[in-house]
Amino acid sequence: MVTPAVSLADVRRSYRDGAHRVDALAGVTVDFPPGSFTAIMGPSGSGKSTLLHCAAGLDRPTSGTVTVGGTDLGTLDETALTRLRRDRVGFVFQAFNLVSALTAAQNVTLPARLAGRSVSPAALAAALDAVGLTDRAGHRPSQLSGGEQQRVAIARALFSRPAVLFADEPTGALDSRTSRQVLRLLRDLVDEHGQTIVMVTHDPLAATTADEVLMLADGRLVDRLTEVTAESIAARMAALELSC
Amino acid sequence: MLTRERLGALVSVLLGVAVVTVSLLLLGSHVPRVPERFVAAGVVVRSPAPDDVASTFPQTRPWSPEETSALVNRLAAVSGVVTAVPDRDFYGQPVIAGRPVPDQVRGQGWAGAALAGHRLTAGSPPVGERDVVVGRALGVPVGGRLTVLTAAGPASWTVSGLVDPPALYVADPTAARLAPGVRAIGLLGRPDIGAVTAAVGTAGTVLTGPARGALEPRADARTRWIGLQVLTAMAALSAFAGVFVVASTFAFVVNQRRRQFGLLRAVGATPRQVRRLVHREALAVGAAASAAGVLLGALAAVPLARVLVDAGLEPAGFTVRWQVWPPLAAFAAGPVVALLGSAVAARRAGRIPPLAALREAAVETRPMTRARWATGLAVAAAAGAAGLATATTDDVRGMATTSLLGAMALIVAATLLGPAVLPALVRALLWPLRGVTGTLVRENALTAVRRTASTAAPVLLTVSFAVFITGNVQTTAGAYAAARDAAVRAPAVLVPDGTPGLADAAVTGTGGAALLPTEVHVDRVAVPAVGLEPAAYRAAVRDPGTAAGSPAALAGDTVALSRSTAQRFGWRPGGVAPVTFADGRRVALRVVAVLEDGAPAGLVLPRDTVRAHDPSALTSAVFLPERPAGASAIGARVVDAASWARQADAEEDRLVWIFTVLLVGVSAGYGAVAVAGTLLMATARRAADLRQLRLVGATRRQVLLTVATESVLVVAVGALLGGVVAWLALQGSMGALREQAGAPVALVVPWPVVSAVVAACLLLALAATVLPARSLAR
Ligand SMILES: Nc1ncnc2c1ncn2[C@@H]1O[C@H](COP(=O)(O)OP(=O)(O)OP(=O)(O)O)[C@@H](O)[C@H]1O
Ligand SMILES: [Mg+2]
Repeated sequence: MVTPAVSLADVRRSYRDGAHRVDALAGVTVDFPPGSFTAIMGPSGSGKSTLLHCAAGLDRPTSGTVTVGGTDLGTLDETALTRLRRDRVGFVFQAFNLVSALTAAQNVTLPARLAGRSVSPAALAAALDAVGLTDRAGHRPSQLSGGEQQRVAIARALFSRPAVLFADEPTGALDSRTSRQVLRLLRDLVDEHGQTIVMVTHDPLAATTADEVLMLADGRLVDRLTEVTAESIAARMAALELSC
Repeated sequence: MLTRERLGALVSVLLGVAVVTVSLLLLGSHVPRVPERFVAAGVVVRSPAPDDVASTFPQTRPWSPEETSALVNRLAAVSGVVTAVPDRDFYGQPVIAGRPVPDQVRGQGWAGAALAGHRLTAGSPPVGERDVVVGRALGVPVGGRLTVLTAAGPASWTVSGLVDPPALYVADPTAARLAPGVRAIGLLGRPDIGAVTAAVGTAGTVLTGPARGALEPRADARTRWIGLQVLTAMAALSAFAGVFVVASTFAFVVNQRRRQFGLLRAVGATPRQVRRLVHREALAVGAAASAAGVLLGALAAVPLARVLVDAGLEPAGFTVRWQVWPPLAAFAAGPVVALLGSAVAARRAGRIPPLAALREAAVETRPMTRARWATGLAVAAAAGAAGLATATTDDVRGMATTSLLGAMALIVAATLLGPAVLPALVRALLWPLRGVTGTLVRENALTAVRRTASTAAPVLLTVSFAVFITGNVQTTAGAYAAARDAAVRAPAVLVPDGTPGLADAAVTGTGGAALLPTEVHVDRVAVPAVGLEPAAYRAAVRDPGTAAGSPAALAGDTVALSRSTAQRFGWRPGGVAPVTFADGRRVALRVVAVLEDGAPAGLVLPRDTVRAHDPSALTSAVFLPERPAGASAIGARVVDAASWARQADAEEDRLVWIFTVLLVGVSAGYGAVAVAGTLLMATARRAADLRQLRLVGATRRQVLLTVATESVLVVAVGALLGGVVAWLALQGSMGALREQAGAPVALVVPWPVVSAVVAACLLLALAATVLPARSLAR
């Protein structure tokens, strides 16, 4: 059996709020095999973002283990964890993705430069071209629309060719046309380069791009759909939201 | 990236570097000048310097008349020496129209004119007992009469000749009588230095070229010493304030940019890279500020030198010597200050978690970390130790240093521990404020306790320094005056008026107790001594008491010792104290008594004994049994005991006050920059919040009121904490004073200074917040 690109074993993440305890994740076990494209869905507050953060090494779980490419994240110190994230993981956040003082192009190359790698102009041009922002390279985030900022973030996440790409509602701020472009881009990456992608989305249509859909509710995995059609997903979602 | 955010840090480093540049330039210019009366003598032989160099600025031990003539003969025989002239320097002050001429208080023997290069331009040299040669500017013609004050009193002299510069020369035998002890011999001609050194042997030191600056008057040496204190204190204070302001500015910047740093961490910046980023920014700010600061400091050096000379903190004729090392050192100081200041902030920045990028408002979870508690308490303990050291020391100079260090440590401790008490303080201060404004201000201050604390920090710094420094000075002055007042029983005191001291003529017949200070040498240690008449003195002054022996036996070659002097030299009543007097004579004095603390000097001698060995000594004060009816003699005036107590240190107090104003000015300047800088930053960053308030229906007035209330709150918090710090620091100084004065000391709180500083902070804070908020809240 091949090593999964990312694997979570009984991962819990709780927040303490005075005497009160919130379990954002209440024991999640899941493997993401290499070259898979997984969508994560679930009602608001069900722990989707938390799952992504833990899987990407941005947050440390309260208990359980997270393994990326065979490395147990719990054994790494802050610097080693940062290095691993820089080299193996790409991330697109829900919002607030860019360093406001840097141009779009500088934002894209930032992780590579933090890692001390030289940046080839051709690779930068290709990355910007892939998200359709060639003419926006010199603009700062304040001069870009929300959708454009999101696409810069995707270009940045893909620029260093990470083993796994995590995306938290990457199409949330985009119109349907751009949305389709971005999704096709992700799909092509999986099909042509064997990229592993884990994507959180609220949009059933977007979820159909994935090979598989995980359903999350109250911090638990409640369902796993391998046959993804817009109708089946919508029906499942509606059922989940009713039960909450 | 030099943005508006770092303006506060930039300006404070710039000012710091400027102050350090000026201080170093002026410190580097501190070379003693060759006194005018030796400029024409290329080589000067000086009597042996004392071992003890303390704040008393001791003179060298004089040669006796026999030693002088033997040495002059030996030196005159050295090849290349045309003449060897003993420097006979004494008190002599011309009186014009009944007033002593200010700033012209020394006279020399006519032979000394050659050492100064002075030449007669009219008349003839002084020959007779009462002949005198003076400067043309006095306006007395050759053959005219001139009243001259010497230690004996005023007398009428005949002007036998004139020289161009201000001077006073008498016949050499007269000078030998007025100044029997000689401390320097000037050589004219082209002497062979090696031969001179051989001829002198161990009898003295040979000074040539700029080294002759060592002969400068002790008053100048003292003035330069005070200047040195002012400059070093200013430089140290600005370095501290610079680090402090940079630290609070960067703490603030890092806090404001949590999200940015979190994002950097999320996309792959290691904690070290984030720390380096902050350090680099600090370095950039430091380097830019350094360059500008060095320039500003160099420009300010010349005017400041003039101000210091005018204020009496540097001797007349002090000028800036341009050297390369002071600006270089100051330039290096800027980045160092910036790095030190940003160290803590950088550490914090490195610990920001990647997820900080994704959280909404900057809600701080823990205002007090364990490290902050530990550091704060450690610094507070250090401050306590410094306070204790201050309170138990009896060394005045050590006290000034430790108490300032203690105050600095207290400021740091208060800043570190501030967030712990801040919530309670904020609630208490805002308690009277009901309504929505109060709620908004309170919640805003409490959700970001650290931010509120770092905004209040500059106010804390400014208020505590201003209050501590002025409070310290005023409490000290008050304590000394009270001690003097308590010690004196006499209703009135005769004091010098326009002269450095009282001549005998002014003293005799008053029936009071006169103090005649002089300096004697015990081996190679200079010791201050005073001559007095024991009976008259005990009648005028509350007796501090006698530890052993009987001071009534003071007569002839006898001495009473203060307890510390007796201990220092191991002398006992009935024993012998060998001393060298101002005339160079060695006398074995019989010890008759040891006095309790409060003795007027280390050695107390009969007045006649001092007069016999120091013909030019001047009386410092006479305690009068009753207020005299008639007018006082020339150069003297009568004051009541209370005002004497207050004015005895008037000159000293004036210098200390200038010192104080300079220090408070420097620290308040920093405070102002920091207060304005941090608050400007805070308001700019809150633009979104303010707009949100407007959107949810707050009127413009309400928004501005909220902002103004926040500023008042920040200033109130800073001022309260600063006041507590200053009060604590002052307790240490008061302990020290109590120890010294041996009497209760009243704390003087400088309320005018307190209110002025707080009002200034308030005005600045309001201007820095309400003005920008006006445009933001449109
Ligand atoms: N820092 C925090 N402190 C306390 N509770 C938190 C914190 N972060 C998240 N939570 C809680 O954890 C739960 C899961 O949050 P999460 O952000 O993962 O939800 P989500 O599924 O991404 O929701 P959405 O679809 O709205 O983005 C929520 O109930 C949230 O309130
Ligand atoms: Mg989410």
